[in-house]
Amino acid sequence: MATETQESAKLAQLAHENPDEIEVAAGREREQLEGWIPALASDAEIREALEKAFDYRGDITITQKDGSQVVGYLFDRQRGASLEDSFVRVIPSNDAKAKVSIAYSEIAALAFSGRDTAAGKTFEAWVKKYWEKKAAGEQNIQIEPEKLD
Amino acid sequence: MAVPVSQAWTVATYVLKQKMMGRKKYPLVLMLEPLFRCNLACAGCGKIQYPAHILKAELSPEECFKAVEECGTPMVAIPGGEPLLHPQMPEIVAGLVARKKYVYMCTNALLLKEKLHLFKPSKYLSFSVHVDGQREHHDFSVCREGGYDIAMEGVRVAVEAGFRVTTNTTLFDGADPNSVRAHFDELMVAGVESMMVSPGYTYDKAPDQKHFLGRARSKKLFRSILSNRKKTWRFNASPIFMEFLMGKKDLTCTPWGMPTFSIFGWQKPCYLLQDGYADSFKELMETVEWSNYGTESGNPQCANCMVHSGYEASGVNYTFSSLKGLLQTAKGIFFSKYEDEGAMKLLNEWKPASYGPLVQIGAPVTNSASELQEVSGD
Ligand code: SF4
Repeated sequence: MATETQESAKLAQLAHENPDEIEVAAGREREQLEGWIPALASDAEIREALEKAFDYRGDITITQKDGSQVVGYLFDRQRGASLEDSFVRVIPSNDAKAKVSIAYSEIAALAFSGRDTAAGKTFEAWVKKYWEKKAAGEQNIQIEPEKLD
Repeated sequence: MAVPVSQAWTVATYVLKQKMMGRKKYPLVLMLEPLFRCNLACAGCGKIQYPAHILKAELSPEECFKAVEECGTPMVAIPGGEPLLHPQMPEIVAGLVARKKYVYMCTNALLLKEKLHLFKPSKYLSFSVHVDGQREHHDFSVCREGGYDIAMEGVRVAVEAGFRVTTNTTLFDGADPNSVRAHFDELMVAGVESMMVSPGYTYDKAPDQKHFLGRARSKKLFRSILSNRKKTWRFNASPIFMEFLMGKKDLTCTPWGMPTFSIFGWQKPCYLLQDGYADSFKELMETVEWSNYGTESGNPQCANCMVHSGYEASGVNYTFSSLKGLLQTAKGIFFSKYEDEGAMKLLNEWKPASYGPLVQIGAPVTNSASELQEVSGD
């Protein structure tokens, strides 16, 4: 789920307004996480970083304390009372059917290594591009889905 | 009736059976997501932003059937991604129809004409075509010029071939109620069985985070659209849910009403929020702290939500909870045009955004050149 930083716009809005009186709902903060290598010095830092990794729309790389690495999409996390009881679950980038579980306590390093697939894709960006292409006389203007190969 | 009598009967007996069994939390529609990849890239969509290896992954027919049997709902909606990109979709749909499930296959219809011959018309199968408004509105919403014409061609071809066809319209900030009403007229002329309409939601994962309707504006918008209804319009939604959208009824969220199953497992807690995954439906129902969700919970993530996946089941539950609920629903279906002078005034005085079909067109542009490059794929 979201961290307080990501939800700050909504929290600020709700501090002043009743949900039923809100005209335009606040979105959430988009953090630039691509390429980030968080410090994992304290338990709190580990939890916060893994919460952001859970929210991230790109692959991450986890280095375990035994030196092995897992690269993939972190699709789930289960938070327990201790780091030993808390797990992330990752679908490795080379095996779509595997779901690898890793205890928070086994994680030595984390990197937001994959591209953030949600970055930069706003309506404003689309509309600006649209008008530019229109002015240049182009037709059938569209955003193409990502190439998968 | 907006749905066949057999479907209404199946749903009614299912709900009554759950109530007689004393079950307080039961699902109504399974949201089955067999894949996330799509042939559109709408800025408002939060479902398709994943690395390529996730977008290439898909559920097998067996995994789909297991999920359907686990949760036991009489209706299965298949959103996505775009389901028609799944090579085994005809097999999945045929398997669900054989199990006598009422299937709503959600599609942007770009491939509908081409793939229609792979499906058989059935009272159990309906194509739920995503059309977000009249031509200009839809094209902007799906970020593709010409998208509307292809979708409507898909609708016409499917209707002519004898399929049940419904539509699904999502409205964001900047929607023009007069245009939405004209859109309903166009859909009815095209021969669709019924229409569904829902406000967009501040979906955490959507790249665009600026154009979501708050509850107050949603209610105004839906009151002006859905009051003073035309006789020709048929909706695929519970009348109580639609009264909720119009601000005439308070409902609390039923987050377990439309559970979602995808390549990740059972999504906690609802179709819109991703707070982790369970490996079985039973685990989903038993491990989610349900009181943490719904607008009334104070959870900021639920604050503006009025979408059908949370509140349609609440409307159905309201209908079957008392004689009053049944009578109000019957009145909504058979007698009420929801005449409302105030709503008519709202409609007549509504100022469409002067700069074009969507509010986004006039919004200040702050994005960097690199972001724009990413959007266009240049
Ligand atoms: S209000 Fe209900 S449906 Fe909406 S986001 Fe919250 S839990 Fe999900």
